[in-house]
Amino acid sequence: MPRRQEIKKVLILGSGPIVIGQACEFDYSGTQACKALMKEGLEVVLVNSNPATIMTDPEIATSVYIEPLQVPFIEKIIEKERPQAVIPTLGGQTALNLALALHKEGVLQKYNVQLLGADPKVIEAAEDRELFRDILDKVGAKYPKSHLVRTFEQGTQVGDELGYPLILRPNYTLGGGGGGIAYSPEEYQSMLVQALHESPTTEVLVEESILGWKEYELEVMRDAAGTFVIICTIENFDPCGVHTGDSITIAPQQTLSDREYQAMRDEAGKIINEVGLQTGGANIQFAVHPKTGERVVIEMNPRVSRSSALASKATGFPIAKIAALLAIGYRLEEIQNDITKTTPSCYEPALDYIVTKIPRFAFEKFVGARDLLSTQMKSVGEVMGIGRTFQESLMKAVLSLEKHREGFPEITVEVDKISYPNSQRLFHIYQAFRDGWTIESLQELTLITPWFLEQVKGLVDFEGTLKASSLTADLLLQAKKRGFSDALIARLTKKTEIEVREMRHQEKVLPSYQQVDTCAGEFASSTPYYYSTYWSKPVELPRAEKRVAILGSGPNRIGQGIEFDYSCVRGVKGYQKKGWQVCMINSNPETVSTDYDTADYLFFEPLTEEHVSEILYAAKVDSVVVQLGGQTPINVAPGLVKRGFKLMGSDLETIDLAEDRGRFNKICRELNFKIPESGMAHDLQGAQGIVERIGFPVICRPSYVLGGRRMEVVENAEELVSYFERHQEAISTDRPCLIDQFLAGALEVDVDLVRGKDWVVVGGVVEHIEAAGVHSGDSQGVIPPQRLRRETSDKVEVMSQQLADRIGVIGHLNLQLAIKQDQVYMLEANPRSSRSVPFVVKATGIPLIDLGVAAMLGDGKEKVKPERFVWRSRPGVCVKGVVFPFKKFPEADSILGPEMKSTGESMGRGADYGEALMKGMLSSHMRFPEKGEVFFSLREKDKTEMLLIARDLVEMGYTLSATKGTAHFFQEQGLQCAEYKKVHEGRPHCVDKIRSGGVSLVINTTSGRRSIEASFNIRRACIDYSIPCLTESDAAEAFLIALKKTREKAFEVHSLQAMQEL
Amino acid sequence: MKQGFCVLETGEIYRGQWHGGEPRAGEVVFNTSHSGYEEIATDPSYYTQIVVMTAPMMGNYGVDRDVWESNKLWIQGFVCVQMQSSNRDQAWLERLREFKIPILSDLDTRSLVLRLRQGGTPWGALVHANSEAEAIDLAMPLIAKEKSKDKDWVFAASSKEFQSRRGEKPAGPRIALLDFGCKENIIRELLPMASEIGVFPSRTTFEKIKEWNPDRVMLSNGPGDPADVQVAVETVRQMIGWKPMMGICMGHQILGLALGAKTYKLKFGHRGSNHPIKDDLLNRIYVTSQNHGYAVDSATLPSYVRVSHVNLNDQTVSGVFSKEKRCMGIQYHPESHPGPHDAHDLFRYFVEQL
Ligand SMILES: Nc1ncnc2c1ncn2[C@@H]1O[C@H](COP(=O)(O)OP(=O)(O)O)[C@@H](O)[C@H]1O
Ligand SMILES: Nc1ncnc2c1ncn2[C@@H]1O[C@H](COP(=O)(O)OP(=O)(O)O)[C@@H](O)[C@H]1O
Ligand SMILES: [Mg+2]
Ligand SMILES: [Mg+2]
Repeated sequence: MPRRQEIKKVLILGSGPIVIGQACEFDYSGTQACKALMKEGLEVVLVNSNPATIMTDPEIATSVYIEPLQVPFIEKIIEKERPQAVIPTLGGQTALNLALALHKEGVLQKYNVQLLGADPKVIEAAEDRELFRDILDKVGAKYPKSHLVRTFEQGTQVGDELGYPLILRPNYTLGGGGGGIAYSPEEYQSMLVQALHESPTTEVLVEESILGWKEYELEVMRDAAGTFVIICTIENFDPCGVHTGDSITIAPQQTLSDREYQAMRDEAGKIINEVGLQTGGANIQFAVHPKTGERVVIEMNPRVSRSSALASKATGFPIAKIAALLAIGYRLEEIQNDITKTTPSCYEPALDYIVTKIPRFAFEKFVGARDLLSTQMKSVGEVMGIGRTFQESLMKAVLSLEKHREGFPEITVEVDKISYPNSQRLFHIYQAFRDGWTIESLQELTLITPWFLEQVKGLVDFEGTLKASSLTADLLLQAKKRGFSDALIARLTKKTEIEVREMRHQEKVLPSYQQVDTCAGEFASSTPYYYSTYWSKPVELPRAEKRVAILGSGPNRIGQGIEFDYSCVRGVKGYQKKGWQVCMINSNPETVSTDYDTADYLFFEPLTEEHVSEILYAAKVDSVVVQLGGQTPINVAPGLVKRGFKLMGSDLETIDLAEDRGRFNKICRELNFKIPESGMAHDLQGAQGIVERIGFPVICRPSYVLGGRRMEVVENAEELVSYFERHQEAISTDRPCLIDQFLAGALEVDVDLVRGKDWVVVGGVVEHIEAAGVHSGDSQGVIPPQRLRRETSDKVEVMSQQLADRIGVIGHLNLQLAIKQDQVYMLEANPRSSRSVPFVVKATGIPLIDLGVAAMLGDGKEKVKPERFVWRSRPGVCVKGVVFPFKKFPEADSILGPEMKSTGESMGRGADYGEALMKGMLSSHMRFPEKGEVFFSLREKDKTEMLLIARDLVEMGYTLSATKGTAHFFQEQGLQCAEYKKVHEGRPHCVDKIRSGGVSLVINTTSGRRSIEASFNIRRACIDYSIPCLTESDAAEAFLIALKKTREKAFEVHSLQAMQEL
Repeated sequence: MKQGFCVLETGEIYRGQWHGGEPRAGEVVFNTSHSGYEEIATDPSYYTQIVVMTAPMMGNYGVDRDVWESNKLWIQGFVCVQMQSSNRDQAWLERLREFKIPILSDLDTRSLVLRLRQGGTPWGALVHANSEAEAIDLAMPLIAKEKSKDKDWVFAASSKEFQSRRGEKPAGPRIALLDFGCKENIIRELLPMASEIGVFPSRTTFEKIKEWNPDRVMLSNGPGDPADVQVAVETVRQMIGWKPMMGICMGHQILGLALGAKTYKLKFGHRGSNHPIKDDLLNRIYVTSQNHGYAVDSATLPSYVRVSHVNLNDQTVSGVFSKEKRCMGIQYHPESHPGPHDAHDLFRYFVEQL
């Protein structure tokens, strides 16, 4: 059946800020869907609150709204745009839940809008774990014994009945949110409280454990006629008990027989039908008993997902695109397979390679957080490795993690790192084999399927072969077929990496680039989606005149995420517009940049110097763009230049001037810029000497760190000692510690600019809402600045341009500056596109990435006409909001500091600061309490300032409470304020009050290690119970402005396209 | 480990590792199924064929005598990227060795498959040798000898004597099954719906079958070129319109020939578990298991027969149907094994509706 003609305009719901469990894979799906629907001639209205996405680029949809994903805002958009339908299956759990809410509140009915892909019944059937069980019963599928629990009392009974361990799985949450494994009644009771709290419907499925079973996932598609296909089968390396998002997974499945697999496939089909999924993609998770083969269903999601993005990249089958086309009425057989261009889409991809996904974690960012994996997802990103064998793909995936050149460096085995699932388990298993452990002993500790362990052991055994013999061309080839990096081969054969590489090139042991073609070679295909393998003979790529490679940003991690994918994807388009062919290189399956139709050539490869340079040789590219993918490409740039490749734009010298702190400071002094006083210490004594000179507080950081790792504000001598004690392993003579004067209370700004040979365009000055000392990625921001005086802002711009000129930037430059008492200090320069670029672009409408491309290609002033771009020209205010993953790390503190911790951002646009703040905060999941008690615990210097806020709150009808000092201060100022004990003053204390639900907002400012530790429980209680907790006075002020705005209940929505016209 | 080679009659040569078995020759074909190696190897339709698996890693889940599609392994060789061979489990390797099937791994199967796709499926041999030259010397005579074998492969694969199998449904029909190299699963599918199945050798005459007086006739799958099959076409022609009749794979092609249509060789055949079919009888589109190198030419079908099933990848004939003559032919494998069960309902259609 062809397209449904009555549908002319659709609304697509995005997934909001990046959070653990819901990341940029939904940008990939949404973008793909928008492109497909636009091509069909539909009008596409897109709403997402996340400005870092590619889908919110005005070119992707007819109308793009960056607004909170909440009913009132969506209603307003619907009222304005009048779409015939909403597609809720592309924006993850957020979009499904939002669609349900729109339905329940009657918005869809009121405007006569239909839901495409999944209707409320389907969403409920899949998400309500009890309804889902009924469906499983109907089709005869099995599942672990379980009870749906709605109250604590009922829960305790159920626990005793089922026995321990127990699995808690809340309804309607994402990434296993609020769930977990309870091994004892005690653990169970505390987890139950939390789980009930996390479920929007206060329902938790309490289930008997199937820990240790083999876990599988099927990615399926169905059209309105009932045609049903499996796109991909995924098998987990980690058995049940580790969330699939945190598991190492491989595709296609390897250890099920055809009979077992077909039975699973049949069951998947029946479930999809019974759930009533009309069209689109879905995934179903199964567990299989390792001995008896018994099979149970874990869950199903009636939408595209993280795993469907992975499946799309693993197979070449664009699930989201097809889902969108099915939603508007097409049938699978009517849609052509993009890759073969001759066959239809109603088939099942055949793979002649193996794909391995490995998640990337961020435990080190959350001091105190225990590195343990469970049914609640904790990873922040993932990589995918493609190889002809599991071993080759595993090694490539490990190298893609960008942790170590050797993939598996020598480490010291810790038994508990093997027996308890954790982020380092694979590395400890590998090392254990090196140390002579047996497969049986590891299998016993991990319950991992022996087949996988044998494969890993095979790699280690081959290390032995390499060590024992002198390196021949044949051995070298065998090592490469197993995915060994040159660096690992070099260490094992006692050679240098360069020697290995030279021998490899001499002996012509070179990678071959093979196509991902969806059909294992059965049909010809011209889609340029490649992976490297040493299992085939190299094939030549045709040479092209203007061909450039753009290096992507690798796995998402805190500090480097989707924002850089935005830059890369826009960069690809920018170069293409200028007539260039672009090779995209990246290892992250969640991204738009690794969609096979983004660039002219896609190389799905690790971003290491070795893999990148082999691609550049094979693809005959000599120019590389390293400015768009964040720090990853910057790090490989020196190696590439050494091999004779050319960087587009800024050269190595420029990069070095910006990155090398010593050289950077020297230039700043030369330009008469103020910089914080600083020094470098190799040990504590050195540090004490420096502090004597510059005075406390100071900010300490070891050199060679990323994203503010180990960076801390140190307030006094005692803390300095403690800092050196805690970080001694990161500080040494050749790795000194940088100590800067800490500009307490300074206003921080981010500047993004592009410089061409004779021009500069400043994209904007983003004023941080939190003071300097909170990492630029963690502070909220506003454009245009609200507190900065115009002259100072102008001065910031001038200084930025001077710096760009002085270090010879061609292309992007990002700067952070701090302003204290009208003095401007230069903090840091990044010679590349930055995290803030997409926000600035969407706030100001200046196409910074296109300008960057023009700069790199040498376009002059006349051509670029930089005077066209004035970042203050748009009316209104834009606020950047931030989201944090503290909920997932129950032992971690939520206080903000110079080390970045946020996973994602949102954007709010408004006619004034208040409206923008309100939207930005709503979008970053802040809840505004309508009434209730506000609890304060303030450090001395904030008290006076916060008094105003307290007064306003009282006036608005809130009551006050505080710890002793703060309470007395308020009382002296004539405010009524209840007084609560601090934790060390005995019970009941303030945390008891918070935990028992008596408080609806907390304002808690502290500094100094000691007080921070003392107030930890306050912040933790807030995180656990989703109570807004403000830890910075500036943030509190901003919150109040937003809170007032919410009471006005007035807001407008505008599309980016409409803004462009203003 | 010994070096092994896959030598094609056209001269191309592919190097890999030899895992045992004896050197043999056959038609070199590729299969894109991810799993089901044991079902494939025991399927008589693979008689005289060297099977190249496009999925790289084979033997991972061991073996299981219960999934056999006949009582032996029929393939002439097994080729893949990597063979499971650990202390814990190398059962698949051993099973192939037990039947002296040559096994080649560590081979660039992708290049070989692209060659087969582009140039068609030639004859070839798997041999072990110290050099390419030696490999060619060993392979060519093997190929020549294998090619001179009697062409009626169906006869070679078929049972030689009549056999009766008791069905599970006493009220069900008696089904005559003309065995062209029948996969056990066709019988497994029919038994629950039939009272008795009579399995007849491929060269059985119409009279013999008539004597047995079946209610329905099933023509099984089988190896080779339908044009080389003796006797069966004539037998089937006489049965057209006599009793409801269904042919599967080779059975479908023989039915086609009996109906007066022509068959032709596909460039590289269809072998895998992922082929989409449009089925007008059940009115569905689904994914099927396939294994055939020949197809029926739709232009040569008589007017009372319609093309009821189409392979959506290349629009070739995947099934024919005649209401008038109560017969149907299905080019793929509704009995699956390996592959999806989506077309399974065709058996019910045959038994209850045709
Ligand atoms: N009964 C159980 N016993 C052991 N592990 C389980 C059980 N149920 C689920 N799990 C594990 O928990 C993980 C997350 O559960 P799932 O229902 O898929 O949550 P989500 O909705 O977040 O994907 C699964 O991937 C599986 O490994
Ligand atoms: N001297 C300083 N005074 C106050 N805050 C500082 C100072 N130096 C750095 N910071 C804070 O630390 C954050 C991180 O420092 P930065 O040098 O930008 O590291 P990164 O490389 O992680 O971006 C900055 O955003 C700023 O808020
Ligand atoms: Mg799940
Ligand atoms: Mg910074």
